[in-house]
Amino acid sequence: MAGSNEVNLNESKRVVPLNTWVLISNFKLSYNLQRRPDGTFNRDLSEFLDRRVPANINPVDGVFSFDHVDGATGLLNRVYQPSPKNEAQWGIVDLEKPLSTTEVVPVIVFFHGGSFTHSSANSAIYDTFCRRLVNICKAVVVSVNYRRSPEHRYPCAYDDGWAALKWVKSRTWLQSGKDSKVHVYLAGDSSGGNIAHHVAVRAAEADVEVLGNILLHPMFGGQMRTESEKRLDGKYFVTLHDRDWYWRAYLPEGEDRDHPACNPFGPRGRTLEGLKFPKSLVVVAGLDLIQDWQLAYVEGLKKSGQEVKLLFLEKATIGFYFLPNNDHFYRLMEEMNNFVHSNC
Amino acid sequence: MKRDHQEISGSGSKPAESSSIKGKLWEEDPDAGGMDDELLAVLGYKVRSSDMADVAQKLEMLEKVMGTAQEDGISQLGDTVHFNPSDLSGWVQNLLIEFNGPTTTPDPNFNDDSEYDLRAIPGVAAYPPVKSDPGLENTRKRAKTESSSSSSSTTTRPVVLIDSQEAGVRLVHTLMACAEAVQQDNLKLADALVKHIGLLASSQTGAMRKVATYFAEALARRIYRIFPPDSLDPSYNDKLQIPFYETCPYLKFAHFTANQAILEAFSMASRVHVIDFGLKQGMQWPALMQALALRPGGPPAFRLTGIGPPQPDNTDALQQVGWKLAQLAERIGIEFEFRGFVANSLADLEPEMLDIRPPEIEVVAVNAVFELHPLLARPGGIEKVVSSIKAMKPKIVTVVEQEANHNGPVFLDRFTEALHYYSTLFDSLEGSGVAPASQDLAMSELYLGRQICNVVACEGMDRVERHEPLTQWRTRMETAGFSPVHLGSNAYKQASMLLALFASGDGYRVEENNGCLMLGWHTRPLIATSAWRLAGTESGSELTQELS
Repeated sequence: MAGSNEVNLNESKRVVPLNTWVLISNFKLSYNLQRRPDGTFNRDLSEFLDRRVPANINPVDGVFSFDHVDGATGLLNRVYQPSPKNEAQWGIVDLEKPLSTTEVVPVIVFFHGGSFTHSSANSAIYDTFCRRLVNICKAVVVSVNYRRSPEHRYPCAYDDGWAALKWVKSRTWLQSGKDSKVHVYLAGDSSGGNIAHHVAVRAAEADVEVLGNILLHPMFGGQMRTESEKRLDGKYFVTLHDRDWYWRAYLPEGEDRDHPACNPFGPRGRTLEGLKFPKSLVVVAGLDLIQDWQLAYVEGLKKSGQEVKLLFLEKATIGFYFLPNNDHFYRLMEEMNNFVHSNC
Repeated sequence: MKRDHQEISGSGSKPAESSSIKGKLWEEDPDAGGMDDELLAVLGYKVRSSDMADVAQKLEMLEKVMGTAQEDGISQLGDTVHFNPSDLSGWVQNLLIEFNGPTTTPDPNFNDDSEYDLRAIPGVAAYPPVKSDPGLENTRKRAKTESSSSSSSTTTRPVVLIDSQEAGVRLVHTLMACAEAVQQDNLKLADALVKHIGLLASSQTGAMRKVATYFAEALARRIYRIFPPDSLDPSYNDKLQIPFYETCPYLKFAHFTANQAILEAFSMASRVHVIDFGLKQGMQWPALMQALALRPGGPPAFRLTGIGPPQPDNTDALQQVGWKLAQLAERIGIEFEFRGFVANSLADLEPEMLDIRPPEIEVVAVNAVFELHPLLARPGGIEKVVSSIKAMKPKIVTVVEQEANHNGPVFLDRFTEALHYYSTLFDSLEGSGVAPASQDLAMSELYLGRQICNVVACEGMDRVERHEPLTQWRTRMETAGFSPVHLGSNAYKQASMLLALFASGDGYRVEENNGCLMLGWHTRPLIATSAWRLAGTESGSELTQELS
């Protein structure tokens, strides 16, 4: 671990509100307890500690939710929708009518973060985030409860993401607009951002239309140690040591971090040139130690001739979007809102 | 550009409140005082704003200590038992004690690799940890008794759909339309709809068909006022519980988690007394007795008082169960005493009848698995019983109840809640891999069907299936003078293991909720176990907490 503990703790405390610091430090320490040095994971403890919330078909602050399970695979998606304007329709799931026949309602397929290992679609932090997304972006959000590592390694998360995308695209009740189609965006934070990228690639190759990708400090990496990794190791809640652990837990055994799942534009990566890849919004937190990889990702997209916008939030740490108590949160929401509405 | 930041509330039960953004990162809201930080509360963590800096400091200390432990190569204390992660302050405090303890060797009796005899329930209680440095107890902070959980002005209605069920959803809407007609006393419309439901249901398969059929029948009974004939015979229900116990893990989970709490409360006692508010077939007790028999230092003397309804054929069902348990006790070497009490209602019970011995001599546990909600059917019922419980001076009270709100004042709301609840329950029966044509499955469905009938068709004192969610039971118990005893990660882990063994369905989930454990199907909690002690007394698990 780089640097002394004293220095590290003081620095991170200076750049985030106190309750944010408490929240993320709590995650950091409890995650430390869950990871074992031999690469196994204390799943029972993790599930016990995770704060969960049920779905709620009754609208709360303008949003209602319900869960859908694929009987064959067990894959669960949590659907969040704006509450119907007509109160008489509250508490009812409508699986027949489209969202709108006139306006376009974006459907954001969201992959929660957790470094492929932690959290679930019904984790309180993500349920809350998705609800805020619905309200701010006036969108429907479908949060995917993908299988996690180390029990389920690559490519399980991508497979689940792909299955969820196909499910969403085939729902008549998620269609909108005069063109009666599902206007889908992929989004995710940390590992969820990584999943969004890889699902978008698969979609592009299968000619399945995705209107845009939103990657919130996406989890990428590589074998070499970048400057930002060396500089920021251990300073703002995250260490190289834990990043390495999560990659070892997700990637196939024996693989290194230049595996294309981790390093899509690296030595074993490929160009996306010529692929009908969606436009991307990539959000990078300036205090995230893996930002060099995220910036390299943005470059990789550009070199492939793909449309990408970089939102660089200089003073943001990871997890800044969990609490709406900082400017970065509102900046992010504004950008995301513009991004999913700029097509219409 | 500065802007007015309105707080956009999340899914929490708290109503939306706008709060202006704090311009400086460290500015603390002077009005916060004893209030929980709203933003963290919505994320599942209860931290008083005034405690925030203190919790932050503890986290810093914990990180330092954990860092040292890892460098020394001491294995992360995988055996540490965690309690109520929502109480961040308490959680961090407990970990600080764990890591600061002079002995960091794992408890030799509680080993992950040990073979579990799952008929017995080993665990921290059956194998009490070695008491360490007594000086440590001075640094221990008493775990905060949790404040009454936020009352919800809006009900949460969790809905889980399996496979979209587009046609099933249409059926659900028709059922609800019929219930609405009943609510509005439009019996002509209700009658027409009920017949239509029958048609729709017959085109369905599986769980949806069964659920729709039961609800349609219950609606018909309500409309035509043909009340269920044997709804007042509780002994029949008792018998139906056996196949229900066999086909799905809900009862096993209830017994298991309650037994864990009881074991921990009994950990140092030499004479123990369990008062079971609904003995039925006594299925909960062999496992507890096995675990007691395996206690190092020998088992306590075990007394069981079983309460049950009168039998229609006047047989002494309670004595028969007691006799079987006595035989088991003799086989495993436990001193055993049994007493049965026949009562029409728990409210008829007087504590003096139960021969309660003083707490110094005998430790008492009161166990109520699905036995408290029927008391809500008669005025004063629950109050009488709760005060009787207090008079029994129990060290622990274990309560298991359905996690559902089937006791609201409005019929339509009750109906809708029950529809979603039992749909999920029936889905789990279907998904759990029990052979579809089995006799046990049919009986289990009948067991649940009778509950549906009672919730929908009955009223007044006949409507006994008055399920209420955990938040309401918490309020009730706390108001009555009980404090929660938190079930820990140990019980959670063992419950998960139990599920993996007995429940072939992949969808069952154990969830921790503010010190209580819930079992659900996918994301929908269906039953909840909570444990209680008289406020102002110490309980077993807190005792265990301070021993590292």
